[in-house]
Amino acid sequence: MTAGKKPTPSRIQVALAQIATCPGQLTRNLETHLAMIAQAREAGADLVVFPELSLSGYLLGHGVLELAMDPQDPRLAPLKEASRTLSILLGLPLREPHGGIANAAVLLEGGEVVGVHRKLYLPTYGMFDEGRYFVPGRELAPIPSRLGKLGVLICEDAWHPACATILARGGAELLLVVAGGPSEVGGEDIPSGMRRWHWIVGATAITTVTPTFFANRCGWEEGILFSGGSLGLDGRGRTLAGPAPATEPALVLGTVDRVAARRHRTLSPIPGAERLELWRQEVERSHA
Amino acid sequence: MLSLPGVHLPLLAQVLGTFLAEELRASGLARYVLGLSGGLDSAVAAALASRALGPERVTCLALPGPSSSPESLAHAQLVAETFGLALRVVELGQAAEVLAASLGCREHRLRFGNLMARLRMIALFDEARANGALVLGTSNKSEILLGYSTLFGDHAASVQPLGDVWKTHVFALGEYLGVPEAVLRKPPTADLWPGQTDAGELGFDYLEADPILYYHHDQGYGEEELLAAGFSPPLVAKVLATYRANRFKWRPTIIARVSASCINVDRILPRNPRP
Repeated sequence: MTAGKKPTPSRIQVALAQIATCPGQLTRNLETHLAMIAQAREAGADLVVFPELSLSGYLLGHGVLELAMDPQDPRLAPLKEASRTLSILLGLPLREPHGGIANAAVLLEGGEVVGVHRKLYLPTYGMFDEGRYFVPGRELAPIPSRLGKLGVLICEDAWHPACATILARGGAELLLVVAGGPSEVGGEDIPSGMRRWHWIVGATAITTVTPTFFANRCGWEEGILFSGGSLGLDGRGRTLAGPAPATEPALVLGTVDRVAARRHRTLSPIPGAERLELWRQEVERSHA
Repeated sequence: MLSLPGVHLPLLAQVLGTFLAEELRASGLARYVLGLSGGLDSAVAAALASRALGPERVTCLALPGPSSSPESLAHAQLVAETFGLALRVVELGQAAEVLAASLGCREHRLRFGNLMARLRMIALFDEARANGALVLGTSNKSEILLGYSTLFGDHAASVQPLGDVWKTHVFALGEYLGVPEAVLRKPPTADLWPGQTDAGELGFDYLEADPILYYHHDQGYGEEELLAAGFSPPLVAKVLATYRANRFKWRPTIIARVSASCINVDRILPRNPRP
């Protein structure tokens, strides 16, 4: 332990802030964040997690040009202030120093930005057009935090299971999947997107043997439905938080027991057993 | 035979209600206005809006013309009563006759029908301006895919809650929401001239067309695959021909791009920005 730093707590209370963001209505979105943060603080949360592009909205199109921020942007000041008492992970379009905008999740702690994950996989097919507006991230590593090492994945990143494996092998003690997952309505009583996400989050938690928390959007943007269902699971797939409803904003809470999590990883050392030579063979075979 | 997959009606009704509430909130306006034709689609749209926002935030207009069936007005009144909605009747007959005489289209039933559909649009957007409302559209997915609408007439609206819902599912949704039997059971009609029905004009009905449209438009089946799946060759030919012929209505206008900031091409932006 470094002198002057508080010890990492053995239990972490995580709050998932499932919100309905409105694209291009920044003041309203900021107010929604501050209200959820206040509610999470009241409930004793150590960390509050917001969905993908929570501050700006998802279907911004070229609106990202107006709403992109750098870490010093004054519009972030009230959120930084709020992070003095609990950690906050939120989503925004991040202006890169040499041009380009990343779809980013930023971690705020102690009044400042302490870590960033830039979305690696920008879906550009079907209804998705992210490659048109964003540049992809180039790095994948857990973010060191006062709560331990946090592995962050943004939406499509989690559809590529190698990402979660890399984070788990890198020592992530907690996986945070933030999403703006659009959905359809089919024959089931939950939106199809919610069902797909629950399979993915479950597989992520179980195959990495790591507590995994999923914060998703709900509501509508520009005629597109988002399907909520935010939830937290432990590394054995047991529910720790939620699931939140599909259609309504909600704050759901769950507690991670880091000792239990470590025990799960010891008893089921799956990520550590990853056969990386198979990855190498595949890389060589495909000339990547 | 392949059939259209089902949809979970309570969930569909719930999310379409939240859609209507959010679009109204984001627009900053107070209410919806829609035309009640006495048919199923407008009954379902009205029921959804009434459930989501309360009947006091939904203004209904009945907009009869010289060739409208009296039954249509009676059914519009029945729908309004069923869902607790106030209905105002705005007679368009006189305006239609004057305009049709000037244009010389009174004896041409399609032109006169289109004129009526566009007069209804004028009445709805005027009401929207007068009372701070958004115009609630009533088009369904089948109708839009087949282009069975009057461009800038019944097709013109600010929001379309049913625009991605197959007509087959609109029937089921109507039943689920309690649309009166008389409205549910009558054949779909644009009511542009006496005795007109959608099926009579299209040459097939929506229940027949929907599975073909679904497997082609949604699932990517080509014509040969549709025939191999057992759909009737003349029906497939007719449905696909209509689907192709009216596609221009999906994008009712097109801008010539001569700069690198062409609206909706180089600059796609949210509809309701605020500071």
